[in-house]
Amino acid sequence: MPLATEPTGPGESLKGPRFRAGFRRWNRKLHFYAGLFLLFFMWLFAFSGLILNHPTWSFAESWNNRKERNYEREMTVPGPEAKGDLGQAREILRQLGIEGEILWTTTRTDANLFDFQVRRPGHFFFIKADFAQKRVNVRQSDVNLWGVIKVLHTFTGVQMDDPRNSRDWALTSVWAFSMDAVAAGLIFMVLSSLYMWFELPQKRLLGAVILGLGSLICGLFCVGLRWLF
Amino acid sequence: MRGRFYRLIRDLHLYFGLFISPFVLVFAISVFFLVHSWLPRIASETSTTRIVSALPLPGDLQTLSGRPLIDALKPALEKADVRGEVGFVRHMVKEEKLIIPVTIPGRETTVSISIASREATIVTRETGLAHALVTLHKSPGQHVPDIRMNWFYMRAWRWLADATVYLTLFASVSGIYLWCALRAERSVGFILLFAGALSFFGMAYALSH
Repeated sequence: MPLATEPTGPGESLKGPRFRAGFRRWNRKLHFYAGLFLLFFMWLFAFSGLILNHPTWSFAESWNNRKERNYEREMTVPGPEAKGDLGQAREILRQLGIEGEILWTTTRTDANLFDFQVRRPGHFFFIKADFAQKRVNVRQSDVNLWGVIKVLHTFTGVQMDDPRNSRDWALTSVWAFSMDAVAAGLIFMVLSSLYMWFELPQKRLLGAVILGLGSLICGLFCVGLRWLF
Repeated sequence: MRGRFYRLIRDLHLYFGLFISPFVLVFAISVFFLVHSWLPRIASETSTTRIVSALPLPGDLQTLSGRPLIDALKPALEKADVRGEVGFVRHMVKEEKLIIPVTIPGRETTVSISIASREATIVTRETGLAHALVTLHKSPGQHVPDIRMNWFYMRAWRWLADATVYLTLFASVSGIYLWCALRAERSVGFILLFAGALSFFGMAYALSH
């Protein structure tokens, strides 16, 4: 029986059904093809996950080390063609030359005052527009590489507990799609590894014990704690 | 010697990979919920309300905040039979009330304690498996580190989440080593590795510049 990481011999397919041999070969190939393609994405999400889990690690501090600058610009008040808050915000951003994901954090109470935030990994813009004065104030915070890494981990453009915010920047959608692709790739890699392991009879028992232990511990957290407490 | 090292790395890649595979599935599946801000409703959410009185509240309640406040409220929560990770406690001074969110993956409990009457109204919501996966994905998280991990099981989850990262990094590095040994696959592998690097750095650059 060939091992998962050894190349299969040319005569292998003759031993069993052709489909099964082909499936085994391609399953193994696709396992490491997917792993190689997703390598840098996996490293980013794994490493940034570790940093996010340890906010007290001072070497990865980003927000307290941010660089801030304030500036004010004159602006042309968005016309009626700029529909709704999103249209007005886009028009103001166009005038300022800022691109990013728009974030609604305050409720608009005065039609002349318009506050919103714009985010992109590494940069935070806090924008206050005054339509009566025809001026816009921008507070820009730029964070270091650690800040970029942390934001990339969570940069989805949506929040589960805030339905007001939705993706409005094309690059956020592209990044969200890559997150989906990485997740799908990881699921495929797990399933393909289970198949490869199962094809190794001499490693089934120990593998089953280890997989069972992992599943038991993981299951305790996913469903078990609710039963216990 | 080289063969033994190869076999050792191959076995460790396999066994460590098998151990973390359920954890990787938890993190990967919950990505879809988080990215699309959507939770499948497999079973309907249930909510129950009950009242518990004569709670043992600490005398210096007004002066406490953060982690000391959570620690001081633990006996009251135990008396009320509420277990789990305690979130940010809101002290409503005017109403003389404490609002305490307590989370177990898949269950959210809100304990409203009336300080004067030492009575608690406890609302428990069973939020289901998908919500549990999301909670685990986001735990412990980057916010309010001073109060986080105040329940043993969530501390344990942090160790496991860290272990998942370390073992994933090991699996990826050992995977590269094992791939390098497959000479016939090197060229295709290099192309994919390069394409992946190009996509990743290209996107990261476009997003951050």
